[in-house]
Amino acid sequence: MSVFLKVRFLFVALATASLFGCANDPAPIEQLKLTEQAVAQATAVGATDDEPDMAAAQAKLAQAQANMADQSYKQARMQAEQAELDARLAEARVLTEKSEEQLTQVNTRLDRLRKQLGAAQ
Amino acid sequence: MNRIPRILSVCLLLGSAGLYGCAGHQNSEQALQSANADFQKVKGDTNVLRSAPRDVIRAGELLARAERLSSYVGSSDDVSHYAYLSSRYSAIATEHSQLLLNQEKLARLELERQRLQLALREAKLSGAQQQGKWAEDQVISLSTQQGERGLVMTLGDMLFDTGRAELKSSANRTVLKVVQFLQFNPKRVVRIEGYTDSTGDSQENLQLSRDRAQAVADVLSDLGIEDERIQVEGYGNQFPIDANTSEHGRAQNRRVEIVFSDDKGKLSAAR
Repeated sequence: MSVFLKVRFLFVALATASLFGCANDPAPIEQLKLTEQAVAQATAVGATDDEPDMAAAQAKLAQAQANMADQSYKQARMQAEQAELDARLAEARVLTEKSEEQLTQVNTRLDRLRKQLGAAQ
Repeated sequence: MNRIPRILSVCLLLGSAGLYGCAGHQNSEQALQSANADFQKVKGDTNVLRSAPRDVIRAGELLARAERLSSYVGSSDDVSHYAYLSSRYSAIATEHSQLLLNQEKLARLELERQRLQLALREAKLSGAQQQGKWAEDQVISLSTQQGERGLVMTLGDMLFDTGRAELKSSANRTVLKVVQFLQFNPKRVVRIEGYTDSTGDSQENLQLSRDRAQAVADVLSDLGIEDERIQVEGYGNQFPIDANTSEHGRAQNRRVEIVFSDDKGKLSAAR
């Protein structure tokens, strides 16, 4: 066997192996649904693109959807998994920020009440 | 074709591929290290462990997976991926824990607020009782009319010092009445409108009328009426109810009006 043929054989083997790898990765349909839900939920509590994590989540979700269309399922799954957690982190950040605003508000009211009580007594 | 450049270019290609592999490996190694650091931090924080145990466990599982994969050749993308997910779970756990701490704090402050509201109401009530008959005379200008704007209660000028926005203690009785009325009629909301006479700068009058209306709103809120039920407007020297030419007329115009909604919570339109 010539060297050239050997190399060609190797290429064929590699190509088959990579095809096999592709076939091994099923379409991450459930994961995409999960990610879409996480993004929707973060949007519902008020996360916007100003939040870097939320912007990342949306970009990665779009990328995952594009990968799905190209049938690069492994890429799609990885992007979708990251996007899900990005969205959940953005949601958690927004909720924490809101609770901090509430704390400031209640503290202002308490100060006012104490002042009023001081004046009333 | 000369063989030397060909060999050179192959070498270059191989070399850059090797470099690229190396860079990928370094990146994944870095991601793994920082994920590990994030995980150690949340694992050591009793507050995070208490409030977000599931997120911490997920962070740990994903980190273990990334570490396992890092011993295989050519898996640096996967290692980076799982390290990233692990770091995210650690960050989510931290946020959840902070949120829970804030919520617990809020609940405590809310209790404190209710306690102070009660104390304030009692203080105002006893003050109003001590003032007795005299207080009744003081607020005689307090009048309630039912007109096209709905039920309107007017707080007269003597409840404020000249140029000041703070309610005087002689207003206690009136304010308590309003609070009681609103507590018995939980669907009703109010719009508090401030007015001044035409003396002085109209911008300042506008501000003063707003501040006085806000002062009344603050007291109602302090006594336990929800902020969502209170609107505030300042109209300055607009809509006088008497001529601004006499002292009596001007005193009439300096007032705060409380407009009540109907019992379904529908307010007449703002002016």
